Amino acid sequence: MATESSESEEEGKITGGNQHLIVEDDLREMGKKAAWSVSSCKTGNGVSSLRDDNLETYWQSDGAQPHLVNIQFQKKVKLQLVVLYVDFKLDESYTPSKISIRAGDGFHNLKEIKTVELVKPTGWVYLSLSGNDPRETFVNTFMLQIAVLSNHLNGRDTHVRQIKVYGPRPNPIPHQPFQFTSREFITYSTVR
Amino acid sequence: MEAILTDCVQNSLRHFMFKNAIFLCERLCAEFPSEVNLQLLAACYLQNNQAYSAYHILKGTQTAQSRYLFAISCFQMDLLNEAETALCPANEAGGEIPNGAAGHYLLGLIYRYTDRKKSAIHHFRLALSINPLLWAAYEELCVLGAAKEATVVFSEAAALCIQNQYLHHGLPSPNLHMSSEDYNLVSSRNFGSEDVSPRKLKHTQGNNLRGIPGNHHGAVVLSGAASQPQNGGPSNMSFYNTPSPMASQLSGVAPPPLCRNMQPNGSNLNTVNTDGSPRSIVNSTIQAPRRKFVDEGKLRKISGRLFSDSGPRRSTRLTGDTGANTNANTAAVAGNGTNNSSKYLGSSKLSSVAPRTVTVRKGQSWVNENIEEGIRNEAFDDSCANVASTTSSSFSSDNVRSLDHDGATVLVGGVVVSGAKAVSGASEVLCLLRTLGEGYRLSCLYRCQDALDAYLRLPHRHYNTSWVLSQVGKAHFELVDYLEADLAFSLARQVSPYSLEGMDIYSTVLYHLKEDMKLSYLTQELISTDRLAPQSWCAMGNCYSLQKDHETALKIFHRAVRLNSRFAYAHTLSGHEYVALEDFENGIKSYQNALRIDSRHYNAWYGLGMIFFRQERFEFSEHHFGMALQINPCSSVIMSYLGTTLHALKKSEDAIKIMDRAILADRKNPLPMYQKANILMSLEKFDDALEVLEELKEYAPRESSVYALMGKIYKRRNMHEKAMLHFGIALDLKPSATDVATIKAAIEKLHVPDELEDNLSTE
Repeated sequence: MATESSESEEEGKITGGNQHLIVEDDLREMGKKAAWSVSSCKTGNGVSSLRDDNLETYWQSDGAQPHLVNIQFQKKVKLQLVVLYVDFKLDESYTPSKISIRAGDGFHNLKEIKTVELVKPTGWVYLSLSGNDPRETFVNTFMLQIAVLSNHLNGRDTHVRQIKVYGPRPNPIPHQPFQFTSREFITYSTVR
Repeated sequence: MEAILTDCVQNSLRHFMFKNAIFLCERLCAEFPSEVNLQLLAACYLQNNQAYSAYHILKGTQTAQSRYLFAISCFQMDLLNEAETALCPANEAGGEIPNGAAGHYLLGLIYRYTDRKKSAIHHFRLALSINPLLWAAYEELCVLGAAKEATVVFSEAAALCIQNQYLHHGLPSPNLHMSSEDYNLVSSRNFGSEDVSPRKLKHTQGNNLRGIPGNHHGAVVLSGAASQPQNGGPSNMSFYNTPSPMASQLSGVAPPPLCRNMQPNGSNLNTVNTDGSPRSIVNSTIQAPRRKFVDEGKLRKISGRLFSDSGPRRSTRLTGDTGANTNANTAAVAGNGTNNSSKYLGSSKLSSVAPRTVTVRKGQSWVNENIEEGIRNEAFDDSCANVASTTSSSFSSDNVRSLDHDGATVLVGGVVVSGAKAVSGASEVLCLLRTLGEGYRLSCLYRCQDALDAYLRLPHRHYNTSWVLSQVGKAHFELVDYLEADLAFSLARQVSPYSLEGMDIYSTVLYHLKEDMKLSYLTQELISTDRLAPQSWCAMGNCYSLQKDHETALKIFHRAVRLNSRFAYAHTLSGHEYVALEDFENGIKSYQNALRIDSRHYNAWYGLGMIFFRQERFEFSEHHFGMALQINPCSSVIMSYLGTTLHALKKSEDAIKIMDRAILADRKNPLPMYQKANILMSLEKFDDALEVLEELKEYAPRESSVYALMGKIYKRRNMHEKAMLHFGIALDLKPSATDVATIKAAIEKLHVPDELEDNLSTE
């Protein structure tokens, strides 16, 4: 977070997008444990469409920019990756263009941790939350806020079809300093 | 007309034409309403998996056989209370249990599933004493952890029991297959038995006659007959109290329990015999309504049918319908090969008769009085073994014609067996069961190495069967020797690819070995074999779990649970999935469900221990790990976790002791050493910890956490260079992302002191 300003310049522009959602094995989806809310929505296109695993349904905002998606956890969690499904071909002017991700303890102390600009994305877009420092692989936070600052073609409202949030898998064996990697250890580490 | 209908029904049953049987039987019951016919109808329904119909028609009946059938229907419909009341009426404290060993076994099952372990054990033991070849009862005892050694149970005394059974009833040994001869005999008997029937009528007496099992056989008949004990025999019937009503079933048939009659005369009469054998067969059908039917189904069904046929027949016989009787008798006899009456050969030593395994279906052994007498006289005299070669059909046909009653031979499975033969046959069977029983008992006590040795004593042809190979696989699994287990299980699959027994354990073995290809293949095969078996779904759940898709895995394990809620392992696996999803509440519930079904399921105890460990409720965790260890004292994994828990409870001395025990128990397991090093480190005994870790490096050279831990220790000791070295190696071995972060952070911290110095010096 120290070198944030320099990062936003290099940050970037993300184009394209994957059709398939492929995530590393040691990450797991954390969204189920969170409370999701949005700043505004059109009837029938609410926040549930963001989490229904259905790419046909989408959330449509209905208010002033920036449009916000708030993700609140009950305890501090480590987050590593945010993935959105957006499609310029389908949504055109509703497709988000500038996105800012903020984290903090609550609405009162959110701080921006990442900004990205999308250019005609078509599919799953991966936004990693890690910093360059290996110690900053994860963001440890109570709340994450995804803000859509502007849309393509200067559209007012935005469509987002799906959002997923990933964090690391916990150690399958509790109270262990490190996770096991070799097969011998893993084989003997649990009784099934 | 009644006789013809009855005969048709039994014929249909024998040929598995259930619809026909049910239709005709309903006509039979409408035309000649009697309890025996009702029992036959119930038997038809039960064969056709319509337990509910049997339940309704038998509700309220009081005769022993009806009560037994009613209890079976209740058990299959999961109405355990009613089943229990039927078998053992509350107001008759000293009442007899219908059908002897079969009844005891069923009652034992009911007690087991309603959590009354002691009563269950008591009844299983009774069942075994009545019928030593009732393997299922022994199996249940092993699972409950209360089985005596196989040599005690399947001993020579048991052999004598069985012999007596045969002698008296000419009952075929239990659980034997029906030979086609039986069929021949049946038909022949039909004709031949006419003259027998009157005698049989005379012989029926009995109430206590437990007669031959055949639960389906009308107890009514027996009680009805009650009359003159022939040859003082009938009175002996009472000896057969143990077996309970079974005897009554024999009523229709000629005095079934030969034993009984013989008892006064014979020295060896054991009540056990007669009832035992047939019951075993009956039991088998009844046992695990769902599973057993699948596995043992055909055989039992056949036997059941045969017996059931005999039931009604007997009754009809009693009612004086000679024609019917004949049929019935034949039918009854056919089933078990207890075609005693017809089969008895005149001469005493049937050299050719070899004790054959006879399907003991609810056999009724009816004995003609002549036969009885003959047997009585001969049986006891006949002590020397006749080395008879197996006689088969030739005998049967002869037998039929001859209707010889003198023979001291007992008809076994359509083969005439002499008394001595019966003993040696029984001994052979018992010898086999002894080895198998010992193996099974040891593996249930988790003395797996001993169990493996026991199984190795089996002859090859028995070893290479799917049951034994699965048990061997299971033993290797418990010893955490997954490669050997994999071998054994795959052999088992080669031998019988349709068998589902133990396949859930196989899927877990593949899960541990991380063989996802093999696991998916296994799953596909199992599902295509039987979509309704919980084992197939357990395998599929394991497959998804291996791919870390815990939610789908959970759904699948729930499906397995719904298919058979008495399958403890499905509950345990759901518990594991809940824990992986961090839903501890439901995890605890699942594990407790598993324990409710089988309190010796140590995986569930372990699972509970792990949950409490995560939640830092260390006392609970210690208790549960302790329980798990009590059940399976050789598991080094459980020992190491218990050690970690003890350390968390600050009982570090004990913790170290257990770790050492764990290390000794299984040298291949690296976990206890690692945990020991952890404990030593937190006790600040750095040197010891390092020693252990150095040793561990030999065992598992590519384990990143070992190096990471060593790095940590060196850092604490301020040996920075060594720490760096080890952290570096740890990173090279590709640990998980979290660990990478931790290790790198640790490395940074190592440098900070130097950096500070530099900064200070420069600025």
